[in-house]
Amino acid sequence: MFAELNSILNTSPDSFKPGEFILVSDKHTDASFLIHHFLSFYLRAGCKVCFLGLVQSFSHYSAISQRLGVSLTQAREKGQLVFLEGLKESLGVLLQGEASKGTRAVDFLRDPSSGLRGLYDFVRDNVRGAVGGGEEWGPPVLLVDDLSVVLSLGVSVGAALDFSHYCRATVCSELQGSMVMLVRCEAEEEEESDDEGSERLLRGLIHQCSLTLQVQGLPTGYCRDIHGQVEVCWRGQCDRQQTQKKLFQYKVHDKGASFFARGMSSAVL
Amino acid sequence: MLLEVLQGTEAGGFILIQDSVNYCGRHLLKSCINTALKREEVVHVLGFEVSQEELNDGLDRTSAQRLHFHNAYSDPLGWTGNSPFTVHQFTLEDIGTLLKQTPQAKAVTLVIDSLSWILRHHDPAAICQKLQALKKGGVVRAVIGLLHSDLHQRGTVGSICHLATSVITVAPGTRGLGAVAKITRRTKSGKLMQDEEIFSINEDLTVTIQSKRSHPGSTPMNTDESEVDPTAHLTFNLRLSDTQREAKEKLPLPFVFSKEKKSALLHPGTGSGRILYEPDANDDYDQEDPDDDLDV
Repeated sequence: MFAELNSILNTSPDSFKPGEFILVSDKHTDASFLIHHFLSFYLRAGCKVCFLGLVQSFSHYSAISQRLGVSLTQAREKGQLVFLEGLKESLGVLLQGEASKGTRAVDFLRDPSSGLRGLYDFVRDNVRGAVGGGEEWGPPVLLVDDLSVVLSLGVSVGAALDFSHYCRATVCSELQGSMVMLVRCEAEEEEESDDEGSERLLRGLIHQCSLTLQVQGLPTGYCRDIHGQVEVCWRGQCDRQQTQKKLFQYKVHDKGASFFARGMSSAVL
Repeated sequence: MLLEVLQGTEAGGFILIQDSVNYCGRHLLKSCINTALKREEVVHVLGFEVSQEELNDGLDRTSAQRLHFHNAYSDPLGWTGNSPFTVHQFTLEDIGTLLKQTPQAKAVTLVIDSLSWILRHHDPAAICQKLQALKKGGVVRAVIGLLHSDLHQRGTVGSICHLATSVITVAPGTRGLGAVAKITRRTKSGKLMQDEEIFSINEDLTVTIQSKRSHPGSTPMNTDESEVDPTAHLTFNLRLSDTQREAKEKLPLPFVFSKEKKSALLHPGTGSGRILYEPDANDDYDQEDPDDDLDV
């Protein structure tokens, strides 16, 4: 959890806005440090967290969270964290074929055209259970790392948007929880030629979300002291205030990240 | 013109609000709903994209009984099995039964939030036919649709725009102030009007026009401009009289060599300066005349 980011977003584990859909996107760089931030943030806030880890193993997230001061293993044992390990599940499906027992969450691997309904059912069962089960956890939170992976597994952009719509309707609107999704954009130069892709998914998700964090590499190239820039954009959904944008540069440290206004890096000043 | 479109008194209209990721058009849609409610109309909303609470936020509460929200947000595809309205029910019959739930025979406005959702699950051609039928069918007085134009192919957006009587394209304003609306309006006679206005939406969802920017295409017959003589009020003279021209032609240009000038330069009079040059031992003296190639 990065304290600096919390103050930028005007939030803290004790008081955060319910029903938010935060979209994290990256281009020419890696924004997964923000996923780790939100994971530790919501675990500290005492929320029931459902994590769809489609790109890394549990031990990867666990090791990083350990550094940020949160134990995923403990949270999982306590029932606070539900972790879908996409890599393991998909291996089961791919190797055993039809005879797999496991969850129906990764059904889309067998038939990509059927959409992500199975994955949504998995999410719904877990977040609903959190509310009905009389547990002591706070509002449910769904984290997805990252959604653009399903595109390369053959799922259409429309199906991915349907999935996120259903998740939003259930988690954000019905249960007043929060949602964080990461989308990775391919850095393609000719945007018009390949419209069916992550760019379209990103645009569709931006229309749905309430806050976007768009992480980009520096346009001038790699720099040792500034790892990139993040554009924070509040999309005025509830209040009449229209989109509000702020641009920050960041540097990821071993145990956190620092954010500063453009050109205000301590290495420069 | 934006206000006129929002007030939209003609029947059988189809207002399309186009937005993109840079600016959300839902606020304008809401103020559309609000003006329709204020006109004592019955408004039916097919809400795919936001929940009822979110849509109702800020709307006129006094006329809430004339606003009917059909919840297609929580389960638009029928996945959870308790859907009041799914995207597959977007047919004339189903919309007709929805509208008949209210007994009032008053003017009905149908708001679709948003067409993008429907277009994602239906064939665009079929949607165009249904929209046209809705427009002409007489069941509804007006249709207002929101479209996220950057989610669709240009052809799809184009064909929907062709159906609309008014297209409002919203974009963020410059310097973060207000927003820009490009309006294309088709009157019944087939005349096309275009305009560009900078607007802002107030707390009570009323629209304020801040300034108008006349579109270059909006005034096709601007003839009075050609009649103005641009040379009429100049502080200098563009024409020469004969004597002035003669005097001008007499004047030698500064770098034209006349015979007198040439001889004056080549044969300097006595008493003029000379250059004495004594070469040094180290000097690299070129024996050739450097001016050899000159015609003097």
